[in-house]
Amino acid sequence: MAGMPGTGGTRMLAWSFVGPALLLLIAFNLFPLAWNIVLSFTNADLSGGTWEWVGGRNYATIFSDKSFAAKYGAALRTTALFTVLAVAIELALGFALALALRRDFRGKTPLLAVLLLPMMLSPAVMGLFWNLILEGTYGPLNQILGLAGLSQPAWRTEFKLLCLLLVDVWMWTPFMMLIALAGLNAIPAQLYEAAEIDRTPAWRVFARITLPLCAPLLGLAVLLRATDALKQFDLVMAITGPNDQATQTVSALLYQTTFANQKVGLGAAYAIVVLVGVIAVATLFTRYLDWMAARQGREG
Amino acid sequence: MRGLAVLRWSLLGVYAALAAAPLLLLLLTSFKSPADATSLDLKVLPLAGSASPHAFAPTLDGYAGLAGGGEGTAQPFWSYFLSSAIIGVCSTIAAVALGTCCAYGFSRFRIAGAKDWLFFILSTRFMPPLAVVAPVLVMYRQMELQNTHLGLILLYTVFNLSLAVWLMKGFIDEIPKAYEEAALVDGYSRIQAFVRIIVPQARTGMAVTAVFCLIAAWNEYGFALTLNNQRGVTVPVYFAGLQGNISGVPWPQVAAGVLVSVLPIMVFTLLIRRHLLRGVTFGTIKQ
Repeated sequence: MAGMPGTGGTRMLAWSFVGPALLLLIAFNLFPLAWNIVLSFTNADLSGGTWEWVGGRNYATIFSDKSFAAKYGAALRTTALFTVLAVAIELALGFALALALRRDFRGKTPLLAVLLLPMMLSPAVMGLFWNLILEGTYGPLNQILGLAGLSQPAWRTEFKLLCLLLVDVWMWTPFMMLIALAGLNAIPAQLYEAAEIDRTPAWRVFARITLPLCAPLLGLAVLLRATDALKQFDLVMAITGPNDQATQTVSALLYQTTFANQKVGLGAAYAIVVLVGVIAVATLFTRYLDWMAARQGREG
Repeated sequence: MRGLAVLRWSLLGVYAALAAAPLLLLLLTSFKSPADATSLDLKVLPLAGSASPHAFAPTLDGYAGLAGGGEGTAQPFWSYFLSSAIIGVCSTIAAVALGTCCAYGFSRFRIAGAKDWLFFILSTRFMPPLAVVAPVLVMYRQMELQNTHLGLILLYTVFNLSLAVWLMKGFIDEIPKAYEEAALVDGYSRIQAFVRIIVPQARTGMAVTAVFCLIAAWNEYGFALTLNNQRGVTVPVYFAGLQGNISGVPWPQVAAGVLVSVLPIMVFTLLIRRHLLRGVTFGTIKQ
């Protein structure tokens, strides 16, 4: 049969199918990476003029220069805080919504369509429009709060990280909901029937059947969301700009260093430090997928 | 159990209202005059001549304004829309074509280190654009690809390849091998079998993959902002450019533009709604 290893012709054919895509991926990932490493040992700036080797000075700046090391630490903390809060809220809310949407009812399909829309939209574009919604005086949110007799905080100046979280939760809760629904639908009905015969209390059914059987898919959802949230850039740019202390994520600091301050060499060094973290997360993710596949293989 | 039902419906009702409100506001704002958009009486009723302080006279000025150069921009909105469309469509076609071939190779041949390759492909998706864009910029300057459609088409093709390969591999794995084997026995070559049997069978998968690639390219901001900020500017970068003069943002025009630019995405999302789950999880969940 064709497709068996060994014969040179088949191997050539196989590589001609997968080769072009792999070559492009390597060229556009490993090549910039290598160039990034080179740049990180230089004092190159954005103008593209002359540059010099500076050895490990950029890395020394990241880890020890007081002002930059503080900024770098703050950006890491902001990113971590944003990621943890966003993912936790989206998971809890998404899972709750999935539980509520579990049974079929009339109008479920159009309702799902409305709920799912935000995650398909552009964060940069919708972020801009959210600025109007969250505006302090004429923003619709505060006007509604005012009509309800509640206080009207200056969201965009005093609660910047909260604004970021709010928009992110609006956009990505449906993502968690979608995956949680898939998890719920995959639970065999017999388990619930058996629990009913045994008159198991509802909370026990939830704790012993629903939650554990949903957990692997929820884990996948959390990993997918977390890798995205760690890259958060678009909403920061739209809502506060890249250089606001309250919301400067790692990506925003990278942008600020490389493009606003034009320090390409320093930015490159910082990017390398970030990439070490990215590789760690990616490894964790692929291990998880592997584990899930093995688990499915055992069960099915 | 009654309490649970009340809880369930109120959660759904409240969340659906909150999720839909910004989209509804977007629609309303696009029909307002600039003064009504930032009025201190929240205008929600599109009724001309009504005495209510919350009513406003609907106008199409916001949409008409898309044809002229907006504040802080030199060109009409449609030129950015066209850039987004060219870059989105071309990169999508390239990503789906390359991704389908690659997925077929991994699905039907034994390739040394196939699993490692597939994980390498997936891991490229985790790369934050801002961490690789500086060397890309240096490279693009040398090759004169900065501020060109081709530059972003290339980049988005590569960016979407990981998704295209993983999604298409799932779809192709589901096509029975017997189809091609029959064709091979009939004297088709491998390439012929791929073109005449697999590609037609994988049409749905290719359409779903195309929609996800198009959406990603349409919404992408980091690369577009840093590489194409003078010519070949895409819609997200155009809108973000308006954020500088936040007090003077022409909101109705912005809302009209946002609506026009998200409309294709909404339509495509509805068309592939049954495959949404698969798309957002890289094909790792199949339903």
